[in-house]
Amino acid sequence: MKPIGQFSKTLVIAAASALVFHAHAADPIKIGVAVGLSGANSTVAPAVVQSSQLAVDEINAAGGILGRKVQLEIVDDASGAVGAQKAYDTLVFQKKVNTVIAMETSAARNAALPIITRGKVPYIYTSFYEGRSCNQWMYVNAWVPEQQVAPVVDYFSKSKNAKTFFLVGNDYAFGRGMLEFTKKYIETKGGKVVGEEYLPIDGSDWTSIVSKIRSVKPDALISATAGGAPNVSLAKQLKGAGLGVPYGNLAIDEGTAKTMGDVATGMYLSASYLGNIDTPENNKFKDSMKTKFGADLKTPNELSVPQYEGIYLYKAAVEKAGSVDPVKVIKALGEVSFNGPRGVVQMNKSRHTPLSMRLGEVQADGTIKILETFTKVDPGEQCPNIK
Amino acid sequence: MILFLDILTTVAILFVVTAGLMMIFGVMKIVNFAHGALLTVGGYAAYVVTQLKLDPWLSWPLALVTGMLAGMVVESLIVRPLYKRPLDAILATWGLGIVMGQLIVIAFGREVQFVDAPIKGTWSIFGVDYSAYRLLLIPVACGLWATMTGLLNGTRFGVKTRAVIMNEDLARGLGIHSGRIRFITFSFGTGLGTLAGALITPLSSVDPNMGLNWLVSAFMLVMVSGHSMASLLVTCLVFGTFQVLVNTFVSPVLGGLAIAVLAAFTLRMRPKGFANG
Amino acid sequence: MVNAHATTELERDGSNPQPKTAKRRLPFLGLIGLVLLLVGPWLFDTYLLNILVKAYFLAIVAVTVDVLWGYTGYLTFGQSAFFGIGAYAAGLVFTHGGLTPGNVFLALGIAVVASVAVAWLVGWLSFYREASPFFATVISLVLPIVFVQLLLSGGTWTGSSSGLTGYETFDLSIEAWYWIAGSTLAVVSLLAWVVVRSDGGRLLAAIRDNESRCSYLGIDTAKVKTILLVVTAVVAGIAGFGYGSFSGVAAPELGGFVLGTELIIWVALGGRGTLWGPLIGAVLINVITAYLGSSMPFAWQLILGAAFVLVIVLLPQGLVPVLLRPFGLGQYAVHEPALVSRPLKMQSNAIPEMPALVMDGVAKHYGHLKVLEGIDLKANAGELLGLIGPNGAGKTTLMRCMSDGAERSSGTVSLCGNDIRKLPPDQCAKFGLGRKFQNANIFETLTVAECLRIAGTIRERPSLVRQAATLALPQYALDVVSTTGLDKKLGVAAKDLSHGEQQALELAMVLAQEPRLILLDEPTAGLTKTERTQIGHVLSSLAHKYKLCCLLVEHDLDFVEEIATRIVVLHQGKIVMEGSFADVVNSELVKTIYAGSSHAMQDPV
Repeated sequence: MKPIGQFSKTLVIAAASALVFHAHAADPIKIGVAVGLSGANSTVAPAVVQSSQLAVDEINAAGGILGRKVQLEIVDDASGAVGAQKAYDTLVFQKKVNTVIAMETSAARNAALPIITRGKVPYIYTSFYEGRSCNQWMYVNAWVPEQQVAPVVDYFSKSKNAKTFFLVGNDYAFGRGMLEFTKKYIETKGGKVVGEEYLPIDGSDWTSIVSKIRSVKPDALISATAGGAPNVSLAKQLKGAGLGVPYGNLAIDEGTAKTMGDVATGMYLSASYLGNIDTPENNKFKDSMKTKFGADLKTPNELSVPQYEGIYLYKAAVEKAGSVDPVKVIKALGEVSFNGPRGVVQMNKSRHTPLSMRLGEVQADGTIKILETFTKVDPGEQCPNIK
Repeated sequence: MILFLDILTTVAILFVVTAGLMMIFGVMKIVNFAHGALLTVGGYAAYVVTQLKLDPWLSWPLALVTGMLAGMVVESLIVRPLYKRPLDAILATWGLGIVMGQLIVIAFGREVQFVDAPIKGTWSIFGVDYSAYRLLLIPVACGLWATMTGLLNGTRFGVKTRAVIMNEDLARGLGIHSGRIRFITFSFGTGLGTLAGALITPLSSVDPNMGLNWLVSAFMLVMVSGHSMASLLVTCLVFGTFQVLVNTFVSPVLGGLAIAVLAAFTLRMRPKGFANG
Repeated sequence: MVNAHATTELERDGSNPQPKTAKRRLPFLGLIGLVLLLVGPWLFDTYLLNILVKAYFLAIVAVTVDVLWGYTGYLTFGQSAFFGIGAYAAGLVFTHGGLTPGNVFLALGIAVVASVAVAWLVGWLSFYREASPFFATVISLVLPIVFVQLLLSGGTWTGSSSGLTGYETFDLSIEAWYWIAGSTLAVVSLLAWVVVRSDGGRLLAAIRDNESRCSYLGIDTAKVKTILLVVTAVVAGIAGFGYGSFSGVAAPELGGFVLGTELIIWVALGGRGTLWGPLIGAVLINVITAYLGSSMPFAWQLILGAAFVLVIVLLPQGLVPVLLRPFGLGQYAVHEPALVSRPLKMQSNAIPEMPALVMDGVAKHYGHLKVLEGIDLKANAGELLGLIGPNGAGKTTLMRCMSDGAERSSGTVSLCGNDIRKLPPDQCAKFGLGRKFQNANIFETLTVAECLRIAGTIRERPSLVRQAATLALPQYALDVVSTTGLDKKLGVAAKDLSHGEQQALELAMVLAQEPRLILLDEPTAGLTKTERTQIGHVLSSLAHKYKLCCLLVEHDLDFVEEIATRIVVLHQGKIVMEGSFADVVNSELVKTIYAGSSHAMQDPV
């Protein structure tokens, strides 16, 4: 062969190997994040995106997962079923992500599951919800009613001597599910539910319900509304009507409580994460968030912190499994744990995780005073049929 | 008593929200589908006032002025070219509403915001504590009705406007500059729309979609009421009462539909609605 | 007799007589579409195929929206509700009953039946006699809102806001779904195309242009629109069924008003009234949204919204036609049929025993204002009545009372022996009444031939499939057409005719419906002297030769003198005199009325 031919052959081989080597080394692990950038969840989505970004930055700074960089793919699920379908089609079939870690509505989650199953993608659901959702590819690291409701009801019964309860919610899976559980729990504890009212999912005119509460005069009020406007307007209208009944909000997060100002004062909530949890992990987390986002920081809250922890849990699972193979990762996810801002999280209880729950009361300055802490609250047998 | 107050305040709110739409529909015979977006703009005007830590009462004039300015621009650029195509005017204003909504999101973000109410707390009326701000809206609505009626019936502008409402060609034949009347009326109508947004937002919250829920109810009310302020008041009275009753005694879910469904059947049975004659 | 006045591309077809229609470029476009349909699975990856299947189902609905809005003028935000009905039919049956062949038929049946029922209700609500187009549009907006609220309150049964997910559905490959969706779209579009371009399909445009004219031609427009709505609702429902079966999700968004408004946006941007514009627009926008949705969701929405507003204001014909015009697409050649005479369908009752018109004690008042009082009038076949009187006497009101049963306040009106009670104009027209309006009341965007064909609908039903080669009209209509030269302008759009020609066209249209009684409102207004003579001859022959009864409101007394067999004088809402022209003109009473009419106007009426 002529020298020029030799030379070109070498060049081609060199280029090819460089390409292969380059491709292999830079092959990132893709984490898909579907979140409601528009729609009902759009108010909390920015916080979720931020905590995801912090987790990925930290992991990449420490060398990535199994030596590979982590890449985030964030898509909008429009907080609903149809949007979620589009989002998951994109994530699973176009971007071909290795896992989806998502904080989203139940509607979105339910629509996502068939696609997750078809694509065989490990899925970590990081939002609190009404419980009992099960799929062989899914794990949940946020609370279910079994963990969240008891503290509030027990507190009202004991400290406020409440015997009669009024339940208010939005008419959708979460609202109905939460209040159904709450009602059962109240009745097992000997209390009585004297009213149960629902508004359509995006309704914010609680006038007639407020008037009903006023006439019934319950000892305590518990609500499970959709996030955003319905949550906020209910509190406002209650305050506006001058109602001082003890009020437990099952769906409020710290950030929203803060913006509500004095409207939220006196509200009770039960959460697995509160800003002033005093542990080294939480303090480090808060500092890192502040450093990274500065003035644009959205208050980390009950809906965004599990997202941060979820990404770390995935990292742990991949490292334990030694690969991103979905079957191996799914098995490992049930075994690994992560000590994060909320404490130790391990999804080994029927695909869900025991959590430390804090009962809090909103103060006049917007902070939340922790009244009681319950450690390792059991989620119960959420998915008896999933191994 | 509470029910009675609920009904009165609901009627007041409905009137406030639909007054601006009525002005535009009556004079120009087009339905301003951007009305929902205008309500939202008014809400955000109030939010801006809150952010700047100014007196909450300022949100009212700010909203009014913002709306009128917006209305002037919209009328010249979008509504006037579509004068002969009323159905297209509906569409164009609808598209405008979308654009305005997106601009609001870009400017203010999607979060739900809070607005300070000019007065807080409750008032005691007939032995019942009721939200003070809600009660305030009753005299506000009455004042609005009185102002509009006075304007339409007592001023030269009002007479010309009513002439245009009744018979535009004849009015123009008599030398009335109907183009200017339409311009002024539209701007005034949009101003009322944003003012309504600022008025109702202390009752709930501000977010980019708040105006949408009012849109369809407002239209149905306007279609049933015909072309006078008095008939609008009557319509709001009847339909507002109906809605509150359904909300209270049947279910709030169906209450949300009450106005739309009742209006549809009313118009089907009696095409003139509540208009005189 | 072949008329050769086609514009743009001509294509000679072998057989004669053949109207000339050039569709060379359009089938080419269709061919590209069909090719894409066939080879899609090999060209596109799974992700894109997924998007396209959904886009195709949505495009079907967009096509129905175009038929309703672009062609018939009914702006509707409600087609999404029918789409949602179809999707939920699939979701509900498969969730609660599982996937069995029986259930498939059940689900499909529910989709169809529910769509029909709801569409019928909506049609009844929206298309009644005094409905304004706004009202119909607002109802169409209320429909999806009500539908979604019903879904949301359905609890676990309908899945509420989550919708129904994960139900068992057809186990087909993505390629199979692609071909199913694509071929359904192709079939629907083709059918729509055939119907819309057929002779009968032009009725839709006629309704859009001038609905009242259609009523006076005897066409029950409310029924036509309702039937159209029912058909399009079923099509949209079937598309929804397909979507729900394919995606495995039935959520409230699929039937909500956001989707309803998106459909309108796709049709507007795609080009309303073209069928292929909305089809392309819908598919393209859905595909682009899928790809851009992740990277710039908000900016894209803003762009779409702004484009929509711009298109409505500046480019009502839409973007796609504008973009494709350089390729020669979007231009239609004109179809010109051959004129032939047809025998009168009403020939059997040529000389009826019944008088053509009997009015007994008819009165009309607005509150205290009495416009007509104590009208007793009889007119027979073969008579030519001239109705005269000063302005404000009530002549036009009298005509309205004759042609619309709901108009009068009291008294009875009979047309050819039929009591019109409170019946609407289309029923009066079926009894034999034809009305020619003062302003040429025609279908502006239709050609002369199409106007004439639509006018004869109640006598000769136009085909919903073909463009007939011939146009059959009664001889007297043909006479008018040939006398006035309209037979040389069959392919001209009605709005491009001169004033006199438009008047003649309207008269020919009225004659095409074979009336026994014609009302003419100032037929000579704005005509030249020649045209006036022409129309005088026409009216005389209608009365004397064809034994029609003609009733004209006229101010031109010379004209009336020449042709009228009897004069009726109306003054301040009452008939003050009847008789021959000579009697009337010489009567003192009439002279006072006309001479003293300025004084009469000053008296309070």
